[in-house]
Amino acid sequence: MKIKQDKFTTILHIFAYLLIGGFAISCLVPFLLMISASFSNETMINQTGIGLLPKGFTIAAYELIFKVPKMILGSYVVTIVMTVFGTVIGLFLIAMTGYCLQRRDFPFRNVISFFIYFTTLFSAGLAPTYLWITKYLHLKGSYLAVFLQLLMTPWLIVLMKNFAKSVPFEITESGKIDGAGDFKIFTALILPMLKPALATIGLFLALGYWNEWYNSMLYLSSSSSIKYYPLQYYLYRIITQAAALKNSLAGSNVNPGTIPTQSLKMATAVIATGPIILLYPFVQKYFISGITIGAVKG
Amino acid sequence: MEIKNVKKAVNKKPLGKKLWDSKTLIIMCLPAILFFIVFFYCPMPGAYIAFTNFNYKQGIFGSDFVGLDNFKFLLNSGSLWMLTRNTILYNLAFIVLGNVLQIIVAILLNEVKNNVFKKISQTIMFLPYFISAVLVGLLAFNILNYEFGFLTTIIQKLGGEPFSVYQTPKAWPVIIVLAQLWQQTGYGSIVYFAAICGIDQEMIEAAQVDGANVFAKIRYIILPSLKPTIIILFLFAIGGIMKGNFGLFYNLVGSSNATLWPYTDIVETYVYRTLMNNFNFPSASAVGLYQSLFGFVVVMFSNGIVRRIDKDYALF
Amino acid sequence: MKKLGKKILAAVLTATMTLSLAACGGSKQTSTDTNPSADSATNKTTNDGGLDTSKHVTVKFVVLGNRPTNGRLESMLKELNTVLTEKVNAELDLQYVEWADWQTQYNLLLASGDSSIDLITTATDWLDAWPNIKKGSFMPLTHDMIKTYAPNTYASVTSEEWEKCSYDGQIYLIPENHYTQYTNHGIFYRGDWAKEAGLSNINNFSDLGKYFQFVKDNKSNVIPWDVSGTAANGNALASGYVQSTTSNIVIDGVPIGLSSIYYGASKDDAYTVTSPYMEGTSFEDFAVLMKEWADAGYWREDVLNYDGDTRELFKAGASGADQHHTQTYVTDVRPNMDIKQPGSDTQMFSFSEPSKNLVKTSITHGCVAIGASSKNAERALMVYDLLRNDEECYRYINYGIEGSDYIINDSGELDRPDGWDQSIDALESNFWCGRNDELELPNARHYKGAADIYADYDTYAIDYPYGKFVFDNSKVSTQIAAMADVCANYIPRIAFGKVDDPKAMVAEFREKLKAAGYDEVLNEVQTQLNESK
Repeated sequence: MKIKQDKFTTILHIFAYLLIGGFAISCLVPFLLMISASFSNETMINQTGIGLLPKGFTIAAYELIFKVPKMILGSYVVTIVMTVFGTVIGLFLIAMTGYCLQRRDFPFRNVISFFIYFTTLFSAGLAPTYLWITKYLHLKGSYLAVFLQLLMTPWLIVLMKNFAKSVPFEITESGKIDGAGDFKIFTALILPMLKPALATIGLFLALGYWNEWYNSMLYLSSSSSIKYYPLQYYLYRIITQAAALKNSLAGSNVNPGTIPTQSLKMATAVIATGPIILLYPFVQKYFISGITIGAVKG
Repeated sequence: MEIKNVKKAVNKKPLGKKLWDSKTLIIMCLPAILFFIVFFYCPMPGAYIAFTNFNYKQGIFGSDFVGLDNFKFLLNSGSLWMLTRNTILYNLAFIVLGNVLQIIVAILLNEVKNNVFKKISQTIMFLPYFISAVLVGLLAFNILNYEFGFLTTIIQKLGGEPFSVYQTPKAWPVIIVLAQLWQQTGYGSIVYFAAICGIDQEMIEAAQVDGANVFAKIRYIILPSLKPTIIILFLFAIGGIMKGNFGLFYNLVGSSNATLWPYTDIVETYVYRTLMNNFNFPSASAVGLYQSLFGFVVVMFSNGIVRRIDKDYALF
Repeated sequence: MKKLGKKILAAVLTATMTLSLAACGGSKQTSTDTNPSADSATNKTTNDGGLDTSKHVTVKFVVLGNRPTNGRLESMLKELNTVLTEKVNAELDLQYVEWADWQTQYNLLLASGDSSIDLITTATDWLDAWPNIKKGSFMPLTHDMIKTYAPNTYASVTSEEWEKCSYDGQIYLIPENHYTQYTNHGIFYRGDWAKEAGLSNINNFSDLGKYFQFVKDNKSNVIPWDVSGTAANGNALASGYVQSTTSNIVIDGVPIGLSSIYYGASKDDAYTVTSPYMEGTSFEDFAVLMKEWADAGYWREDVLNYDGDTRELFKAGASGADQHHTQTYVTDVRPNMDIKQPGSDTQMFSFSEPSKNLVKTSITHGCVAIGASSKNAERALMVYDLLRNDEECYRYINYGIEGSDYIINDSGELDRPDGWDQSIDALESNFWCGRNDELELPNARHYKGAADIYADYDTYAIDYPYGKFVFDNSKVSTQIAAMADVCANYIPRIAFGKVDDPKAMVAEFREKLKAAGYDEVLNEVQTQLNESK
């Protein structure tokens, strides 16, 4: 039945549109500024500051980047490879662990769960971890130092465990009756039923890999074996280090003193961020439904 | 019934048999177990470094034991107190303001009837969650810097006198909290929005028939139904009260602007700087150890309280 | 389709298992790896006697600087490695420690104990060689070993010089003892603008301030000094001011984080330890003046968050000044400014001028050390010996390939091909630990007035008085660590005037430094310095 709207409702609706709209715009403005700055003329930026619309429209910064795209392309390859492999492998391991840890007939599920959960309560801290990884594992200057550490988090395993709980235990039982082993039950019966969970957790993992810069800063910087840094760390260096900016243009015959510093940083940021933002609307649906299921069930 | 029997049967078995019976499951958990051993448990003994005057040559366990000297300085210099205060206050602000804003957005989003508007605004609000801390730092610098920042542009247009935000420490708690809200609200509100969608529509309609206005609806139906979600999220957040979002702080503040530190330093940034700029492994570890222990106590304490009030909500 | 999926998953699983296992294997290996293979390497040397070069090895050499990406380095290394392979069956690989956070990166590199590192650029003044020797970062060397594998080098270093490179009776460093340079710091400024400002010659901080003000007022789109407020730049500026206003002499090898704050009182009273940061008015005056400069806008408002390449901006005419040492002025800044800003008449205000307080560049300003866990110590020495003493190799590593990187002109001087631009085409091999005056070509591009500058310095410069002093910090390391924290917190802010009340800030800084253990460390330095007399 249709209920007549009272004036409070109308006021609230107006307020809702204003606030939601306002907040959405404030979410968008910084991105617009970045894009506008990347197309702005450097001198104009320095004189009048950046605005929502490009000042003295120019594509000079992009031209410079695409003149010698080797560095940024290399970073792209590194990041894509890490993201793809990290997400696939991490997802599989997390799903497998999460599934086992909610099996009621698995006597060690609580012990192992606590073993994993404990790491969120107490951790060694940065300094011992850094020493362990560099001095004992000898992973300084190896992509593995970045790749391996992002593979799993306790939180994602707990989330996966909650998802897996929603799969009826009878399915495992029926698999057992058919004589299938636990691994077979997992891969053949359970995994296909976890699709929404896999989408959600996969996206979390992928975001983690795509946005990674911190471990790269700790373990990859100043290593002769690393030619291309992960994308976000590459961006970090461009933003914070004049020398990195200069190096990014090596071979383009540009005089370092005349590099359009600010617009170039912005253009690099646009190129480094663009794909994930363009990809996002396509995966949003799965992501939102996944978070929703996880949160309600959690 | 059947499940209970299974459980009982499992518990009665001797350990060896239990291990043998669940060998496949154990093997399936093995990669994760190994992962946590290698990257989390193995470094733990290294926290001993906080009690030594560490020297590369002698290694962690060969270095001289100096007792609590490293903690003493941190305490005397006031660093521990400042870091504790900043970290906790920032986290409280993030938790309280973050959740309030997320709930408001979720409720208002629920009131928006135009589906196109709803979809688009949701997509846009979600966008900041997808970008790296590095980019957040760059975007903030674009807006805040004195030379050509957007803020300066606006202030000048309005005829005001621009000021250097990067030299105004007191502005930073606001900026950091805003940045955090900017990045997390869209994401966080989805959870609440989902909970609202899960409310029985008949209940709402019945209330409306009874003459409840929209505010009464929110007050008496929507908010109470969000209570479990709020408590769960709050509890999760309390566990991390001593942990900070390093990326956000580090990229917003920069690594060498000491003017801002009294207002912006949290445990993570301090530890990083002590380690990377001063090569001071013992002090960095001392702070890290303090953080871990403090956090551990907070979690145990709050979990204990929750357990007493309502066992269902307890984390463990 | 389903089967395929399963197979992939299984493969992925196996791969991951192997990865985790590999990681674990790495951890076990360390127990045998922690002991530097120094001793075994030394033993081998004495046993073999002869030079066994049957196995081809790659010698990895750590240098400071940004790895060039113009391809010239790779071409040079290809040529050089052909020669090295022929002569000692080895090739050279350079590992760069980048300038951004170089102190951090350098120390972390050594801390990680990478066993693939063979040769390491180091220095007792700017690269903390002594503390690193004590931390076990470098391999101890014997006279025999150097005599055997680097005979030419050994012959060119006197026994007195070897002593300055030794600790506990063992040699750790090979000095750059045959290379003339001055590495005292100062500010580069444009002589043409100074003249316009009515300043014939800037030789103190107050004239420098007038120059900056003139640039600020008269040169649009130029920042008087477009510096970035990093800790390294802040420390350089602060110590520069101290040098220009006191007779204190900095004692190397007592690094307090990124700063050096312990000094000898003066050249006549070198063995009294003091600190201009704590005593006297110099540091306070500095704080006040820098606050004035910051308020006047001589550098960017956001200087502490700004990162720019000041040297390139100076060369492009966008910055009115730059800061570094004489060697940089003579070999890079002056000649390039003459090309890029004709008539700029770039000058250098040496911090030593007002006080005539100058210490000559020590032979350990550039040294090479062997990595503590190097597996190719002998071959590394052989390669180094060639780089330093063999004309062909020397020219490759220092100048590049004749014809494309450099040419030798009619008067036998080193020159550059047409169109060569240092900002773009530099080789940047940064071999700063074995340059040799005997093989060094006179450089047509270097500033011709260098000799006059050196002659002027020579009238008052003294030799570094603490050549044999090696500080042992083990008793006060927690205090030093605490002080480093204080210095990192205060010095950059004070140096770039980003404080409300400079005097109060200096007082606070001193108080905190004392609380951190300044006096205990001072006493320790004093005691050990007395013993080293």
